[in-house]
Amino acid sequence: MSETVAPTGGKPLDALAEREALAPEPGLGRTIGLVLFSRPSTIVATVVIALFIAIALLAPVIAPYDPLRQSLLQINKPPSWEHWLGTDQFGRDVLSRIIYGSRNSLIFGLLSPLLAAIAGTSLGVVAGYFGGIVDRVISRLIDTLMAFPELLLAILIAAALGGSFWNIVVVLTVAFTPGFARVARASTLAVKQEPYVEAAIASGVRTPLIIIRHVVPNILAPIVVLMTLWSASAIRIEATLSFLGIGTQPPNPSWGNIIRDGLNNMFATQMPIVSGGLAITIVVLAISLIGDAVRDVLDPEISR
Amino acid sequence: MSVLIEVEGLGKTFADSSLSLSPKRPPVRAVDDVSFSVMRGETLAVVGESGCGKSTLGRLLLNLIPPTEGRVVFDGVDITRLPKGEMRRMRQRMQMVFQDPFGSLSPRRSVSNTIAEPLVSFGLVRSRTERRERVAELLAQVGLPSAFMDRKPRQFSGGQRQRIGIARAISVDPAFVVADEPVSALDVSIQAQIINLMQDLQESKGFSFLFIAHDLAVVRHIADRVAVMYLGRIVELGTKAQVYGAPHHPYTEALLSSAPQPDPDRRSDRIILSGDVPSPTRIPSGCPFRTRCPIAQPICTEERPPLAEASAGHSVACHFAEAFPITRRRSAA
Amino acid sequence: MTGPLLEVKDLTVEFGPKRAPIRVVDGVSLTIHPGEAVGVVGESGSGKSITALSILRLVPEPPARVSGSVLFEGRDLMAVPKGQMHRIRGKEIGMIFQEPMSSLNPVMTIGDQIEEAILLHEKMSRAERRARVVDLLRLVGMPDPEQRLGAYPDQFSGGMRQRVMAAVAMACNPKLLIADEPTTALDVTIQAQVLALMLDIRKRFNSAIMLITHDLGVVAEVCERVVVMYAGHVFEEADTRTLFRDSRHPYTQGLLRSVPTLTSTQKRLHQIEGSVPPPGTITAGCPFRPRCSQRMDRCATEMPPLVTHGDGHRAACWATAPKAIAQGEAA
Repeated sequence: MSETVAPTGGKPLDALAEREALAPEPGLGRTIGLVLFSRPSTIVATVVIALFIAIALLAPVIAPYDPLRQSLLQINKPPSWEHWLGTDQFGRDVLSRIIYGSRNSLIFGLLSPLLAAIAGTSLGVVAGYFGGIVDRVISRLIDTLMAFPELLLAILIAAALGGSFWNIVVVLTVAFTPGFARVARASTLAVKQEPYVEAAIASGVRTPLIIIRHVVPNILAPIVVLMTLWSASAIRIEATLSFLGIGTQPPNPSWGNIIRDGLNNMFATQMPIVSGGLAITIVVLAISLIGDAVRDVLDPEISR
Repeated sequence: MSVLIEVEGLGKTFADSSLSLSPKRPPVRAVDDVSFSVMRGETLAVVGESGCGKSTLGRLLLNLIPPTEGRVVFDGVDITRLPKGEMRRMRQRMQMVFQDPFGSLSPRRSVSNTIAEPLVSFGLVRSRTERRERVAELLAQVGLPSAFMDRKPRQFSGGQRQRIGIARAISVDPAFVVADEPVSALDVSIQAQIINLMQDLQESKGFSFLFIAHDLAVVRHIADRVAVMYLGRIVELGTKAQVYGAPHHPYTEALLSSAPQPDPDRRSDRIILSGDVPSPTRIPSGCPFRTRCPIAQPICTEERPPLAEASAGHSVACHFAEAFPITRRRSAA
Repeated sequence: MTGPLLEVKDLTVEFGPKRAPIRVVDGVSLTIHPGEAVGVVGESGSGKSITALSILRLVPEPPARVSGSVLFEGRDLMAVPKGQMHRIRGKEIGMIFQEPMSSLNPVMTIGDQIEEAILLHEKMSRAERRARVVDLLRLVGMPDPEQRLGAYPDQFSGGMRQRVMAAVAMACNPKLLIADEPTTALDVTIQAQVLALMLDIRKRFNSAIMLITHDLGVVAEVCERVVVMYAGHVFEEADTRTLFRDSRHPYTQGLLRSVPTLTSTQKRLHQIEGSVPPPGTITAGCPFRPRCSQRMDRCATEMPPLVTHGDGHRAACWATAPKAIAQGEAA
């Protein structure tokens, strides 16, 4: 008994799949391509992010000066060939500080959401899949955490335990986790109802494997969207915190404390404030644009 | 033929177990005191409309959901009391084909991984090559080219996906297969292909087959015996000849006569039941069918008719099964 | 019989890029006379639903491109400005959709929804409208209609909702009722009720019905004429008895033999090999060719025209076309 597949081997069709044929679902490579290159804005955003990451990674190589090196002879200099963005009140090269400052932003912007995603997804999936008392306990925990605004939490922890950089990374991770947990839990509840999960149980697959193989891959889409969106928030929050003196401690540069130092010195030179502010704005904007594009591409998949 | 599965007093009630503070919905009695047996090598069809509990029954038989009452004895073993580990191993002998060809295959796994999943879980293949060989064999048995192995489900039509699901179910050579409305979601011209495929496989491999459907016509070719369900209970159970040729229950007769047939000359002296199917949260007292039954009498409200033998191998749950044989179709109001 | 009520001529609906269009409806023509019940039968991908939506201009026009003409009582609906179509929808042509769950507004009472249909097209006092709504509900078989006016759709079963939809569709006594798979989502015993209702509507309102379905049984019960569609084309049309007894198209024949019935004596179901081609994959010749047991060479390159086989019976197939006509003009 043989079945003839449609002549071009293209998309076969059925009552339920009719719509899909008119809007074919792309594979992973195409999906990434669609996200990054669909519009001029996303192309620019992608370039910006790529630059941002490159700068952060290559900071020691490309920064013209040691960001901590002070020079009393060079204070508050305007932009020149030696100092493209001028110097601050301690004679430190602003450009090098901005370059090095990107590192902290990168860590916050990538690491915190990533760690939070892992922690949150694990909690959410476990709560959603097992239900019952496990769900109740985890959900209460999530709700409690969610009650604290990130900024406030960070300030509290800083006041209690000291505002070092890594303390704040941990705090932000904890603060972001509930958001991911909620989304993961909701998606898990939906996926749990899907026939293929039941089919896996009937096939004798053990529970841990079911979760890893069948549940997690199918809930990743909203998690990825959330991660890109929170990435932008994380960078903004880092800047705010270091502006407030929490997080990156002086003299280490961070875009936030560059702005703060610049504020104290505003009438002597405006470059620190302007360049710090622009750096934050550009990167946050770029990530947000990518995040929107990610959501647009993955959303039809989510809502199906 | 010997008995493979004995179902005794099986019942399932779904209570509203949500944690919300709003008033709980009343419990749903999906399956109510169902008893029957499945013989080795036979095809038993379970037919009924939505809400009759047939899908729940299929899952109860595989212990995919635990019963509220009763038990299922599979080859001498009460599977409803088995510890988790043993039940998992038992699953090798009982498999399922699902209704939704689009939802029953994990979208991100290749066809080969999906079909081989039972083989791998039960440790029946040792190497990757062995696995791929088995998958190629199974694909051939269901009429698909082995080139499909590495593709993802989304590239296939409903009929092809159903074949993949069937390949998965037979991969471990089960003694019992439950097919839950396997062709309902398929185009008409494909339904025949899949029904024939399942019939062929059943004949060549000899497994016991429970075919769940909402349409008596669909199972007519493939079934040996037929059970008709209504609101969680079996109202009639008999051989194909008995149920189609001499139905004794008014609901069976209504099902047979109300299904539109592709025959323009068939005159409609059909029974058109009045009213809606009652909600499974508020099943009528006595006989659940009495609210729509053309021959309901006062006793039907008071006493629930048991599923009793009307003739050899033919059981009916109706107070009037004896007194009113098939000619009741003419005398019904 | 007077002139036809609805004449669809050469309707084509395509999507996608202009150089490689995907035609979901390809040159479809059909006719419905006043008071006639016509069934449009096809599987998924046949284009039957889009045909119906095109009649009411409900297909979003980009991305679709619709061409051809739809003459309703002599007037080409394709030429009517889109803004004016609402006068026709509901008033002249009513439509029942497939999913009764999603076609009724869940936050409006059923009384209001039916009344809305009347309000849009006819001038009546509130009391008159209410009375009309109650009448309609009674007509569609709703028990205690006065009490149910204030109920919401989710309080009803599928069969009842379908009746409410029928009431909405018939509220202004349209001349044509288009029903798109009205019974597919319903249980078989409820199906029977709804089909009886359709026949009743036809009798009372003397409206024509265009019944779109994949179920040959439904067509045999309700319709006088049948149009069989496949992959966007009309393959065969005939009056019901002729189609079932004497079909002249291999697809129709195959379909009739492969449908499970309660009466046939076959040991095994006949099956049609292969599957329905996705729209746009077959651009030349007959789309059924890969699956056809009677295919010929000509089928690969030329789509056969509809050829008359008898009174009102036309089929598009090279293999069955009577030789004399096949060589001459297609009728």
